[in-house]
Amino acid sequence: MNLTTPDSVEADVRPTESEDERRIRFETDALTYLDQLYGAALRMTRNPADAEDLVQETFAKAYASFAQFTPGTNLKAWLYRILTNTFINSYRKKQRQPQSSGQELEDWQVAKAESHTSTGLRSAEMDALDHMPSSVVTDAMNQLPADFRLAVYLADVEGFAYKEIAEIMGTPIGTVMSRLNRGRNQLRTKLADYAREQGLIGRGE
Amino acid sequence: MSEQEMHDCSDVLEQLYAFHDHELSDEEADHIREHLMACEPCLDSFQVEEALRLLIRKSCDSEAVASANLRVRVQTTFTQTVVVTDAD
Repeated sequence: MNLTTPDSVEADVRPTESEDERRIRFETDALTYLDQLYGAALRMTRNPADAEDLVQETFAKAYASFAQFTPGTNLKAWLYRILTNTFINSYRKKQRQPQSSGQELEDWQVAKAESHTSTGLRSAEMDALDHMPSSVVTDAMNQLPADFRLAVYLADVEGFAYKEIAEIMGTPIGTVMSRLNRGRNQLRTKLADYAREQGLIGRGE
Repeated sequence: MSEQEMHDCSDVLEQLYAFHDHELSDEEADHIREHLMACEPCLDSFQVEEALRLLIRKSCDSEAVASANLRVRVQTTFTQTVVVTDAD
């Protein structure tokens, strides 16, 4: 395919494009994120069948509203927002887990108190942790409360900025930070505990 | 270790996630960097955090592979008439 315009001065093609052109643009731009969205969906739903349904529904919705997406803005974050909304609106209702909502106000205070929870790990021990099976890490993530799990995934795996996570999750930045703090502390503690139980690393002093 | 230094370490540890996330101001990040260069235990915590992130990312990425079946399912949600295969 020929480049007719440099990427940096991407013009808004929406007013003049045909239905077919929009479909091709969606396929080219959005489908790139299929694996990543599936990975996120897998962390949200914790099982492959639901993750696949969630991703399919997300792409269907994204395509239906693709005309509202402004070219040149953050497509990845836009797709994650649809993914998250779809999850919250349909899947989470089904699961009906008691969640931690209602204590959001205290989140930040609690997070501060927890922020010094140390894993007791030392960098010299980290080579041993590299041999930890992936499933141990993903199982540990799956044990986190849903809100924490998603925040940690978006930050640690996808590298989204706090502001973007706040937009994707529809929460204030302070809430993102507290979820991240608590989720990360819990996850890291679980991993360190596992490594000690399995004798991958020493028991510490 | 003096009380002042202890205080400094706890401040640094508290900001370590934000430092990793590149969410601190230049000034704050400089302060952390300066401290890490001078404080072995905090530097070690920093390196542990770095290694844990790599581990978490690697583990999640290894599962984040959509099946061929899912790819087809997703494509059918918006490809009704023409299937465009870009064969370069």
